[in-house]
Parts: sequence; structure tokens; C-alpha cells
Amino acid sequence: MIEVRDLVYEYPSGRALWGVSLDIPPQTITALVGPNGAGKTTLLRCLAALEPPYRGEVTIDGLNSRARPREIHEKLGYLPDFYGLYDDLSVRRSLTYAAWAHGIKPDAAGAAAEKAASRVGLGDRMEQKASELSRGLRQRLAIGQAIVHSPKVLLLDEPAAGLDPAARKELSALLLSLRDSGMTIVVSSHILAELEDYCSEMIVLDKGRVAGGKPIKVREIERPRYLIELASPRSDLGEFLKGNGGIDVIEANEMHALFTFTHNPGARAKLVRDLVNAGFEVARFAESDRALEEAYFAQVGKTGVAA
Amino acid sequence: MNPEFRRNLWLELTPRRIALMVIILALIFFAAAISGGKDYRPAAVAEALYYLIVVLWGSRNAALSVVGEIRDRTWDMQRLSSIAPGAMTWGKLFGSTIYNWFGGAICLAVILAYRISHDGPAPALLDFVYFVEIGVIAQAGALLASLIAVNRRQHHSRLEIFIYQLAGLAAALATFWVWEAADPENVFRQARAAQSIMWWGQSFGLQGFLLLSLGAFTAWILVGCYRQMRLDLKMTNGPSVWFAFLVFIGLYVAGFDAWLTQDAAVAHWHVAAKRLALAATTYGVLTYIMVLLEPKDRVLMRWIGSQLRTLNLRAALGALQSWMMAWIATLAVSVALILWLGSYELNAARDQALAAATLGFIARDTGLFVLAQSWTKRRGDFSALVVLLALYVLIPAIMNGLGMTGLQFIFFPKETSPLWLTAAAPWAEAVAVWAIAAGRLSLADREPGPILQAG
Repeated sequence: MIEVRDLVYEYPSGRALWGVSLDIPPQTITALVGPNGAGKTTLLRCLAALEPPYRGEVTIDGLNSRARPREIHEKLGYLPDFYGLYDDLSVRRSLTYAAWAHGIKPDAAGAAAEKAASRVGLGDRMEQKASELSRGLRQRLAIGQAIVHSPKVLLLDEPAAGLDPAARKELSALLLSLRDSGMTIVVSSHILAELEDYCSEMIVLDKGRVAGGKPIKVREIERPRYLIELASPRSDLGEFLKGNGGIDVIEANEMHALFTFTHNPGARAKLVRDLVNAGFEVARFAESDRALEEAYFAQVGKTGVAA
Repeated sequence: MNPEFRRNLWLELTPRRIALMVIILALIFFAAAISGGKDYRPAAVAEALYYLIVVLWGSRNAALSVVGEIRDRTWDMQRLSSIAPGAMTWGKLFGSTIYNWFGGAICLAVILAYRISHDGPAPALLDFVYFVEIGVIAQAGALLASLIAVNRRQHHSRLEIFIYQLAGLAAALATFWVWEAADPENVFRQARAAQSIMWWGQSFGLQGFLLLSLGAFTAWILVGCYRQMRLDLKMTNGPSVWFAFLVFIGLYVAGFDAWLTQDAAVAHWHVAAKRLALAATTYGVLTYIMVLLEPKDRVLMRWIGSQLRTLNLRAALGALQSWMMAWIATLAVSVALILWLGSYELNAARDQALAAATLGFIARDTGLFVLAQSWTKRRGDFSALVVLLALYVLIPAIMNGLGMTGLQFIFFPKETSPLWLTAAAPWAEAVAVWAIAAGRLSLADREPGPILQAG
């Protein structure tokens, strides 16, 4: 759905992207992470065809961003990190205007606005002015405007910034439902734990380059990541797991191991049995809920805040 | 309906604002009617209010129509919409000023009612055309100035917005002057003597000529708004429309050769040489105006260079800035003038040398603008203007005071001996400036730069 080849972008003050190449498959949610100044916003703006590449190519759904930017705009929804709303317009009028502006015919715009409002949980606030909404609700309205035309690609720059935990949870659920409806979503964020909830791919940007050279698949539905922790050390934990068919060990030491394994409950139950029978004191066996963070730090090789 | 226009209707024409405008204007007209003075009759007051509401206030709203969206962070959403650049242009131009037009329409109704009752329908129709035209040209001028500025940078102070408004007001003032001159019957403005005008050797009635000219320039301003809007929506403008404008303006100005009959320096020239000189001068002035207005983005220049190196001429031509094309037009017409002078005029060597020197100085000065921009991003144009002030005024004045007048040919076109030095000096300066500028541009391409902008 999104192809980037050798993308170089320059501001007059310096080069922001240095030959970025990546592919983002359709109907996925990809996390775009990296330290401040890594080029995340610039990359998103290039993907949105708001900035023409200095060199290289950006292709969205087969359309070249330099040659056909307006056609890309029609297929996109984009929420910048700092966005504005028309404060004096009601939610209904804001969404109706967004629908018209995205080419939805006037007789269908009302229904599109209603649908978008319902998706972002603003269906009961249609007559409220944007200026009267709380920060979280304004965020929802902005996302509603971005998805009112059911775009193929949705780009969100720090969408959870300033949201409370409950609103973040709702955002996660919304993004998953949008993905399931067919959208390809790219989310830039510095809150890795929040991205864990819905991202299946990750692109780590560092100093204008993709760290590791390519996107990382952080979660597979059929082969999730699992974490085992032992109560007492066993130096042969890694070897034991490697010898067990169907396991790909990512990392292991004498106290714990991280590996991918089938999602099949029976197979998992058998693995636990085998471990116990082999004398391993299993203190914990669970699906890893920090896949993104582990992958991120594996790439950037450091600890601390992601962005 | 145009979505942008509709949105503006929602925001601008609320029932409360409509009622407010109607009540305030009604009270003002009532006060004027009962005061009884000639200067305060409702029609005269309506004229003043029309200028205030449509021209002065309307040009500010037009200047803010895009800049305000950028300030309020809604512009990206609009740019990512499906609204075509033409629809976006008129939606902004007439949508952002719809409240002004509403008030203006009330004023115009009062003006026209007075005119019809006192002078008949024909003068009233002229009044109608005039008032609509001056409103459109003021607002379109302000919008065009703001759109050009948006291409330069995204942050705009109040003073800068006022400057964009001033551009519209200047266009309105020009319109006022033209109509004043084009109204020999003193139907509704102060009259001047009726005149004819010589253009391309033909005599035309001044009134019709000026009105047609005004219409043509209004159309070009609207085309300019549309083209700038395309750029801001990330569409590529090919060179054809600017080229067409250059042809238009060259032919338009070249037709005024009769103006040069009193100029001793060129009065003896053949009419064709005079017309070439007028066109070349116009292109030269346009080159300076556009090089000052356009961003001179060094990334863009390097990109054009890379396209030329790979012989991707279509892409390179599509990205040429207006000042570059104006400079090419200046060069082409000036070379034609120099060749003509050499072929058909006696003792033309001095004029040829001065023409070539002028070309060299224009080349040097455009290079200075580019160079200054590569040195300092924010104040590049100001720095270039200061350098030009020093080169054209301060240093020659100092040298003049020191009695070193013989070196003035280094600073502006001036005949010197040997004659070839008149042209060689500015061209050597131009080559030096451009060599430094090109070096800086390519230097920046080789060295990794820090990431200073968005995350």
C-alpha cells in the first residue's frame, strides 16, 4: 500500500531524511518511532504528499507523490501533531464540511458525517461547537474529520498526546476497528506501551534513517511472542527451547527466554508440560506485552524514553 | 456549492452578524439623511462605507484567508482535501469576504438608487462595475500577496499581514486612478481632460483603453491567485502561464513607444529598438520584483540542477521560478536589442555596451539575492537589499566624494574607456557572485546537515 524508495528530504537548514526505504502492507497498523528529531513528522508529511521528495519516490496505492499529489490527498486521512479545528462550527458542520471537502456528494455528506461521528464516539454531541469540547473530544473530532471519507491510508502524528488513559484505550479500539475495516494506518508516537495495543509493524527512525534498514514485524497473530521466566536458573533453557519443534528463540539466558511460538492453546499447554517435566521451575509463561519496546530497544540499543 | 465557500458562509454570515450589519448601516444612513448636508447625504456616506467595508476591511480578510488557516493549524486539512485549486481560490476569495460583500451590497444599493434617480441607469451601471471591480481587485491583490508569502514561509506576523493587505490597497488605488482618468464625462468621479492614447502606433480612446487594461490586469491577478494556490496544494505549475504573462506584459508595454519620443538618449532609435528596450526594461523590473518575492529555496535550486544534469528537462522547466524565466526573457530581448542596434543604428557601440552592462548587473544582483539567502535564511532578502543599496548608492557616493569617479562603471552601467570594459566589469562581477553562490549550494549538498525542523 505504501512504498518508499531511497527517500531523501531536505530542508534549507539541513537534510532530514537520508535514503529511507520501506514497504507498509495494506490493512496493518505501523508504528513510526524514534528519538526527537529523527524525521518522523517529515516522513509522515512526505507520505501525505505534503512535501515533495528531494530524491527517491513515495508511492501510495500506486500513485507517485510528486506526480500525483492531489490524487494521493483524496485517498488519505492525516492528523498532524498540532492540528486546528473550526471552533465556531458544530461537530455536525465540521464533519459535513470535511466530507464535502473530501469529495463526498452533498446528499451523502450528512450520512458520512453521522458515521464518522459514531465511529469516534461523538454521535451524541453533533450540535456541540468544537470550542465546547474537551481536549480528548477535540482529538476525536479531528480524527473523525480525517476518516470521514473512509480513506485507504490514515496517517496519525502523535494521536494520543494529551489524552487520558481511558481516551487512549478508546483510541486503540478505534484504530483496530479502522484497520479491520480496511485502512492502512501509520501512527507516530513516543508512547511505546500505547502502541503495543494495536501495532503489528514498527519502523524505527534514527537520524533520518530507518534503524536496521527495514520495518520490523513486531507481532504476528499466528505466532505471538512469549516470555518464560524461571524461579531458579537453568543454563540450558535456550537449548531446550531450540530443541523443541516450532519455537524460534529471540533471546534467552539462564533465567528467562523470549521466543515466538504458535498461538495454538494445546501446543502451548504441551510446551509448559514439557518444561515442567524437564525440571524447569516455570514461574511465568505469558504472551509478551512489550514486543514493540523490546524490538525498539533491540534496534536503537539503548534504554530510556523512546522519543 | 463550493465547500470552502459554504464553510465561510457558516462562519461569516451568522444571523447575529447579519442583523448587526443591517442595523448599524441603517442607523448610519438614517443619521446621514436627517443631517441634510451635501457631504453627508446617504449616497456619499455609502460610498465611504463601501471603501471601508469592502476595500479596506475586505482586503484584510482576503489577506488572512490562507494565512489565518495556517495560524489556526487548519490549512493542512484543507490542503489534503479534494477541493480543486480553482474552487479553493474563489471559495477563499469570496468566502472569506462574504460578510464584507454583504455590507458592501447594502451600500451599493444606496449608491445605485441615488445614481439612478439623479443621473439615470447608464451611469449607475458604470458605478456598479467600478465598485465591484475595485472590491475584487483589492481583495484579489491582497490574497495574491499572501499566497506568494505563504510560499516563502509559514509564519506571518501582523505587520506582514498588513503588508499583504497594502498590496491589495495599492491595486485598489491604481484602479481608482484608472477610473478617474477613464471618466472624462465626470459622471461620477473627478474628471480629467478627455484624451486619446497611442499604443502600437494607433490612437485609442483613453477611457476604453484603460478599462480594457484594467480588466486584463484583474484577470491576471486572479490567474496569479489560482497559480499560487496550485503551488500550495503541491501541484506543479508548468512554465506556460508565466510565459504567456511575460509575452502579454512585454507586448503591452512595448506598445507605448510613443513615450520615448521625448527621451534624448533613445529618441533617434528606430521604433522597433524602442519597443525592444521597453520590453527588456519591463522584464528586468519583473526579474527584480520576482527574485525579491519568491523563496529562492536552495533545495529547489539544487533539485533543478540535478534534473538538468540528468537531462530531465520537463521536470526542470516545470520547477523554474518566475524570476528565472523573467531573467531569461530579459536576456533574450536585450540580446535582440543589442543585435538590432548593431545592425540598424549608427554609432550604437555605446548603447550596446550599456545594454550589455545592464544585463550583467541584473545577473549579478539576482546572484546576490540567491547568495544572501544561502547565507542567512531569515533575513536573506533584507541583506541583499542592503548590499545593493551599498553598491548602487553608498559606495559610488563615497567614491564620488573622493574624486574616484572613474571607477563608477563597477557599480552601475556607465560608459568607460575602453568601451568593452563597460560590459565586462559587471559580467565579471556576475560570474564571481554566481560562482560563490553555486559553490555554497553544492557545498550544502555534500555535507550532512543537522535536522533542524519538524521531528
